[in-house]
Amino acid sequence: MNISVNGENVEMPEKTNVSSLLTIRDAKMPDMVSVKLNDDILDRNVFETTLLKENDNVEFLYFMGGGERK
Amino acid sequence: MPKHNLNIETQLIHGAFSPDKATGATTIPVFQSSSFAYKTAEELESIFAGRGAGFVYTRINNPTLDLFERRMNILENGLAAITCSSGMAAISTTVLALAGAGDEILSGNSIFGGTYSLFAHTLSRYGIKTHFVETTDIEAYRKAITDRTKLIFVETIGNPKIDVPDIKSIAKIAKENGIVLVVDNTVTTPVILQPKSLGADIVIHSTSKYINGHGNAIGGIIIDCGTFEWSNQRYEHIKPFYKQVKNFAFMALLRNQVYRDLGCCFSPFSAFLMSIGIESLAVRMERHCNNAAAVAEFLEKDSRTNNVRYPGLASHNDHAVAQKQFGDKYGALLTAELGTKERCFKFINNLQRAQNLANLGDAKTLVIHPSSTFCRDANEEERRAMGTTDDQVRFSIGIEHIDDILSDMEQSLKQL
Repeated sequence: MNISVNGENVEMPEKTNVSSLLTIRDAKMPDMVSVKLNDDILDRNVFETTLLKENDNVEFLYFMGGGERK
Repeated sequence: MPKHNLNIETQLIHGAFSPDKATGATTIPVFQSSSFAYKTAEELESIFAGRGAGFVYTRINNPTLDLFERRMNILENGLAAITCSSGMAAISTTVLALAGAGDEILSGNSIFGGTYSLFAHTLSRYGIKTHFVETTDIEAYRKAITDRTKLIFVETIGNPKIDVPDIKSIAKIAKENGIVLVVDNTVTTPVILQPKSLGADIVIHSTSKYINGHGNAIGGIIIDCGTFEWSNQRYEHIKPFYKQVKNFAFMALLRNQVYRDLGCCFSPFSAFLMSIGIESLAVRMERHCNNAAAVAEFLEKDSRTNNVRYPGLASHNDHAVAQKQFGDKYGALLTAELGTKERCFKFINNLQRAQNLANLGDAKTLVIHPSSTFCRDANEEERRAMGTTDDQVRFSIGIEHIDDILSDMEQSLKQL
C-alpha cells in the first residue's frame, strides 16, 4: 500500500501497524516519538494495534526541539 | 531476555546503554558541548519545529544527559525523564510547570527544609500558595483540596521527621480529584520503592544523594510516570501540548517552555558521574539499610539517647505503613535526641569517621544538627511540623563496616 511518511510517499506492506512503521523507517528515538496519523495524534498505547491503510498520512513528531509551538 | 524485563540490579548497570559501537567504550560518553551543529538550515529548522529528533543546545537537551535520563526513566518505569541542575531545580521546575499565580500546592508538612522554604516563602511571593497538612493524616489532604490545587507533594520518608506517608491512599485522593501527585523518592530510591506502583504521577529525585552515592556532584531529575491524563481540565495550559504530542504533553511543556526558559539544566560531566555512581546503587542501598537498622537498634537501646526515629523500628509510628511500602528495607536516614543542643554539638565534634556536613546518601556516614543548619530558617511552628528540635541529630548511615560505625558512635557518646 502507498502511504505518506513525513511528507514522503512510501510503499508499505499491507497490515503494517504504527509500531512496525517506526522500525521499518528507522525512526529516531522511537520511545520519544509522537505519531500523527491523518489528523489525529495517537496515544502510544495504540501504536501496536493501529493498522495503516492506503493513502494514510503519517508524521513523526518530537517534543525535544528548541521550542516552536504550533 | 529483553532488556526491559531485567531486574533492577542489572538495569542499574545496563539500562539504556550498550558499549559504544565505534569504540567499544563501556562508560557513557561525555558530550561537554554547549551546542550541536547541523549541515543544513533545513535540518535545524525541522528539529526546532518538532519534526525531527536531535540535540540543539545543552540547556534544552544533550546526548550525555539523554543517556542518564533514559536510565533513570527505566529504573522508575516512567514515560520520560528530564535532568536538572539540582533536586530543588527539579522541584521548582515541576511546580512552575503545573502551577501559576493564584494556584495552590497541597503538601505534607514534614518535607525537607529547602522544599518547605521554596513552597512557603519563595513561591508564595509569586502568588502560588501552599497548604501544608500533617503528612500522615490522609483525610487532611482530602479536606484541603480546592479548585486551585494543582499538585499534591509528598516525600517517601520525611526529612528530618522520618515519617512515612501512606502514598497509595494519598494517590487515591489525587486521582479522585484529577490532581497530579508528585513524589520525592530521593531518600528511598527506586531500589526500595517505585512510587509509580503506589499511584505517583511524577517522581522527583535529588540525584546528588544516593543516586550519585559518593558526594561528588549535585543534580536532580523529573520523571513523568506516564499515568496522568494531561487533557484534564484542571491544567488548561497543558492542553495545547496534549493536542500536539498527547502522552508527552508534560515533557513537551518542560522541554519547549518551562524547563527551557528557567534554564535549570544539568552538566554533562555531572551526568557522567551520576551514571558511574548509580551502577552500585542496589549493593549500596542493601548495605546502607542494613547498617542503618543496626545503628537504630543500638541507639534505641542506649540510655544516652532518646526518641530514636527510624521506620524499621517497631516503635516507629509509621512502621506498618513503611513495611507495606518498602518491604524490609527502610532507608538509611534516622534521627536521635541527645537532650540538649550542646550535647549534640559535643557528640558531633567527637566523631572520628562520620562526617559533619549538609548532605545525605553518601557512601560515608554523615551527621548533621538540623535545627542549626538546614532547618534554621524555619520558625518554631515550622520546625515542629518538620519534626526537628534543638537536641536532635540526623544520621545518614554509610556503607562502612558496621562495627566501625558503631565504635565511632560509642566513643563519642562516652564523652558526653
